[in-house]
Amino acid sequence: MNGSKRASLTLEIVLILAALLFLLPVLYLVVMTFKEPRLFYKPLAMPDRLYLDYYKLALGTSFFRSMFNSLLVTVGGLALTILVASMAGFVLARRREKLFLFFFYLFMSGMVIPTVGSLIPLFKLASLLHLINTRTLLILLYTAGFIPFASFLYSAFTKSIPRELEEAGSIDGCGSLRMFWVIIFPLLLPATGTFILTNVYGIWNDFLTPLIFLNSPDKMTLMPTIVQFMFNKQSTNYGPVFAISVLAMLPLLLLFVLTQKRMLRGLVMGSVKG
Amino acid sequence: MNLKRKQYAAAVLFLIPAAAIFILFFYVPFLQSIYYSFTDWTGVGRPKFTGWTNYAYLWKDPHMTDGLLNSLKMAAFGLVVQNPLALLAAVLLNRQFRTGSFIRTSFYLPVVVSLVVASVVWGQMLQYDGLINAVLGRFGLESVTEDWLGNVRTSFPAIILLTQWQAIGYCAIIYLAGLQAIPQDMYEAAEIEGARGFSLFRRITLPMLMPAVTIVLFLTVVGALKMFDLPYILTNGGPGTSSYTLFLAVYNAAFKDNNYGYATAGGIVLAIFIVIVSIAQLSATRRKEVEL
Repeated sequence: MNGSKRASLTLEIVLILAALLFLLPVLYLVVMTFKEPRLFYKPLAMPDRLYLDYYKLALGTSFFRSMFNSLLVTVGGLALTILVASMAGFVLARRREKLFLFFFYLFMSGMVIPTVGSLIPLFKLASLLHLINTRTLLILLYTAGFIPFASFLYSAFTKSIPRELEEAGSIDGCGSLRMFWVIIFPLLLPATGTFILTNVYGIWNDFLTPLIFLNSPDKMTLMPTIVQFMFNKQSTNYGPVFAISVLAMLPLLLLFVLTQKRMLRGLVMGSVKG
Repeated sequence: MNLKRKQYAAAVLFLIPAAAIFILFFYVPFLQSIYYSFTDWTGVGRPKFTGWTNYAYLWKDPHMTDGLLNSLKMAAFGLVVQNPLALLAAVLLNRQFRTGSFIRTSFYLPVVVSLVVASVVWGQMLQYDGLINAVLGRFGLESVTEDWLGNVRTSFPAIILLTQWQAIGYCAIIYLAGLQAIPQDMYEAAEIEGARGFSLFRRITLPMLMPAVTIVLFLTVVGALKMFDLPYILTNGGPGTSSYTLFLAVYNAAFKDNNYGYATAGGIVLAIFIVIVSIAQLSATRRKEVEL
């Protein structure tokens, strides 16, 4: 008994060390932002006082505008997806006609088809629609990308709602749209929560889409802004770049720590479909 | 009858917004990309049909071939190294520890850090005067120090190691969920039969985990094939073509050289690889579920 206890403690210590190793880059990133320039290129030195100039520099750039843009496309993309996919997922679960089956499989195929090659024709399509360099386009693209997973999620959740509720609604003679938003949608909130907590990271952390479809600094989201900030000069001044990275990462790290359990459940659900 | 038709019309109305957005911004570009891959389209003028020319040229282009090789290397490393490590981590994390939640959070945290921020911090750590070399120097290993990202031999391996920082945690999450779904009484029954330690793992844990294993393998391979952010930010595929990935090669062909037709051909090849892996994963998971 005693031997196994000791073994368990040893294992725990080994795991804590491994965990610290995983945390190290994040801790290093944060610590470095408080180191004054003379210490910055001595990676092992600790900061000897709180040096905040990097943050002043970072905030002096277009940081807040980029943050706002990121927030806008993240909230917009998630909201539009929830709006259209909840309605679609609901009817896909309820109707058995050919048309709905066809769309169910069409959406599901979107989970397998990669969009790598589609980016180029999309660029042309966006030009035709005068959507290049608009945040609206980003919202539409994120929505199109999430529709397969989100409608699948909503249709799976719909099956757990008793049909009697809808019939009760239709007898009262309220329109089907109102019935959906007043009666059904609140019951689908767990699916909405799962969807948001799983996919908020994907949009916030996305680098490729804004890189391709946005070109003016006032529309740019956080991730490409950080990279431009880094590539700006011949030799990168890492201090401010680290500071802006910490600021960009902070909201999501907080969200993750607070909603870890739910997000992990969602991740597993999301990964099952591939 | 009339009510039925009304309800059908209402249902169609519910479907239209999602269907419209999905078809316009997902399906149409996808189908167009198949067509463009057989043309010499450069974004201006009318595309001319050139048959298999683009596809033939892909195999002669070092950016594309090195990109594909590197993507496959990354996938293989994921299968051989990351997978067993993630499984080991999950098995250990599945035990009860007082500090369990701290350990788990630390393992998972890198998963939500963006690839851009990861590139920033690792890029600096891997520099000649960065943390990695400083630590090596501290242990008297100056001979091993290296400009990790500026060297043909080490640039891509460094990027692969960076991906592990995020991937191990991500895969461990899925394995842990799989482990926690295994009914406890199966173990009890096996213990009554006299199974212990490793044979328990081999006879119960591993077979029951098979669905999770196929999912993780799939995520690993697809993630490797889609890798773009890290080589773009850290090395831009260099030195030479040593750290290209296929996706980066496609991106550069399209948005740097304006060879749209050629780039979509690269994109289609990438898509074919991903679809094959997806179908293999789905059928493997199905088969396993039937067995259970």
